[in-house]
Amino acid sequence: MSGWQNSPAATDYSIDELMVSTLAACFKNGDQACNGMASFIPVAAFMLARMTHAPELVWIASSVGLEPRPERIPASTLEAPLWQDSIMYLDQYTDFWNFVLNGRWITKFCVGAAQLDRYGNANNSVIGSDYHKPRVRLPGTAGLADMCSIGKDLYYWMPNHSPRSLVEKVDFVSGAGFLDGGDSRERLGLGGGPRILVTNLAVMDFEPVSKRMRIKSVHPGVSVDEVQGATGFELLLAEEPVPETRPPSREQVRLIRQQIDPDGMRRHGFR
Amino acid sequence: MQDKLTTLHAAIDKVSDGDIVALQNMATQAAPMALVRELIRQQKRDLGLVVLVGGMAVDWLAASRCIDRLIGAAVTMEQFGLCQQYRRAVEAGRIRVEEISESVLNARLGAGARNLPYLPTRGAIGTDLIRYDPENLKLLDDPFGGPPVLACRALKPDVALIHAHRADRCGNIQYEPTAMWPDIAIMPKAARQVIVSVEEIVDTEVLRRRPERTILPGFMVDAVVEVPYGAHPTSFYPAYRYDDEMHREWAAAARDDDACAAWLERCVLDPADQRQYLAAAGGAPMLDRIGTSAETA
Repeated sequence: MSGWQNSPAATDYSIDELMVSTLAACFKNGDQACNGMASFIPVAAFMLARMTHAPELVWIASSVGLEPRPERIPASTLEAPLWQDSIMYLDQYTDFWNFVLNGRWITKFCVGAAQLDRYGNANNSVIGSDYHKPRVRLPGTAGLADMCSIGKDLYYWMPNHSPRSLVEKVDFVSGAGFLDGGDSRERLGLGGGPRILVTNLAVMDFEPVSKRMRIKSVHPGVSVDEVQGATGFELLLAEEPVPETRPPSREQVRLIRQQIDPDGMRRHGFR
Repeated sequence: MQDKLTTLHAAIDKVSDGDIVALQNMATQAAPMALVRELIRQQKRDLGLVVLVGGMAVDWLAASRCIDRLIGAAVTMEQFGLCQQYRRAVEAGRIRVEEISESVLNARLGAGARNLPYLPTRGAIGTDLIRYDPENLKLLDDPFGGPPVLACRALKPDVALIHAHRADRCGNIQYEPTAMWPDIAIMPKAARQVIVSVEEIVDTEVLRRRPERTILPGFMVDAVVEVPYGAHPTSFYPAYRYDDEMHREWAAAARDDDACAAWLERCVLDPADQRQYLAAAGGAPMLDRIGTSAETA
């Protein structure tokens, strides 16, 4: 664990590792984090945070296993090898959903979505305009519809930043972001909401009044024009000139590659 | 207590065409696959499925034209990808989906179990799930003055299909410590009939040694069947892992209707019993591969 504080910025890193270190920085001591299916990037981020700046970050693996000790990230983030050696198994109906809905705990949640729009609404349900005869039937909302409406701070991740995945308006709202922007989320009585989106090109956040998505930082080697060109709507700029995303440190890269995820599961879903 | 022990055939004979069938399942976990194969062999038709997260079982049932609607939060085989047969059936309009979120499903089943008209949640407010399911979801003002809540109408499946670790002949069901999803905790309590397959039938005396592991009392169980490896190819901890080879094989076959039909013939329709099924699925080498001896020690 020693040495991470003074470790210099890495020059040899891949974009998935930068996304992991960026999300890891959002989770602190005293937070509780949980993950769902196919969530390798968040799981790697929680494990990295716990090995560096946030040893007291509580992790509930797969929303089942409290404080597990998996040897490495396995092929599934929703199977028993991830919750190996847990302190407690949370019963979903009586434990987990009470903790989540209560509002006191698990106040942050990482969201992967097939489609996001300029107000951070998320779609994992259908592509196409006819819900009962969609062009593509996606897996479905699972717990996303809940997590987005119950006051959580939402951290989105998306491995392939493209005009197909970042769209003017999602085909179906399976997770509520800032809805139509402005105060439309507040007016429905919903707290929390989207905080940031980390993609393979940039980090985005949301303008405080209009709630429109804006570029917060571009990853090293990526231009603002490239990010805008890969987005299906106009992005605002949080500040000018747009800063560069902080790359992972050498020690963070070493931990990710050697201890957390030697099998490279985190690259699942990247093109 | 009454004897509930029966055969796969007689247990699934209790399911009628058109029934709403609640299915225990996570993406690659703990699905009552032997019971599902029997649904297909008996050529059940027009079934509705209730799943929290459906996996290969949903795809088999879609490919076999057993289901025409699904109430659930997600259908996916996670690392093995989307369920292609299910997906195509939905895209063609042959299966109608009533998508709901996890807290909505929990509320609907909770209301069903307690004989209430509905239970509220704060989940899913602001989503299109509400717009497309007005029969079952309605925003309500909080009678005590707080922000609105979502009323989720009671759901009472006609039958719940469950796989568990052990039971006695009377249908008292035990489950070993592992993930406990709402499919086990609440789904059977909302259903009108409960059919359970188990890894082994044991004497009631065995259950008495660990009563804290008993999760369903025999009085609410209608049929219990002994089926070793009854959740294969899904995982059933601590007994066995998911069969990754069969998942990959099915995911590939499901992309092509002919390959899919041949696969179902070989692994679902032809085997006359569980022993023949396990042989078709790879026999002893496969069972060695999915074993968890190190983890169960």
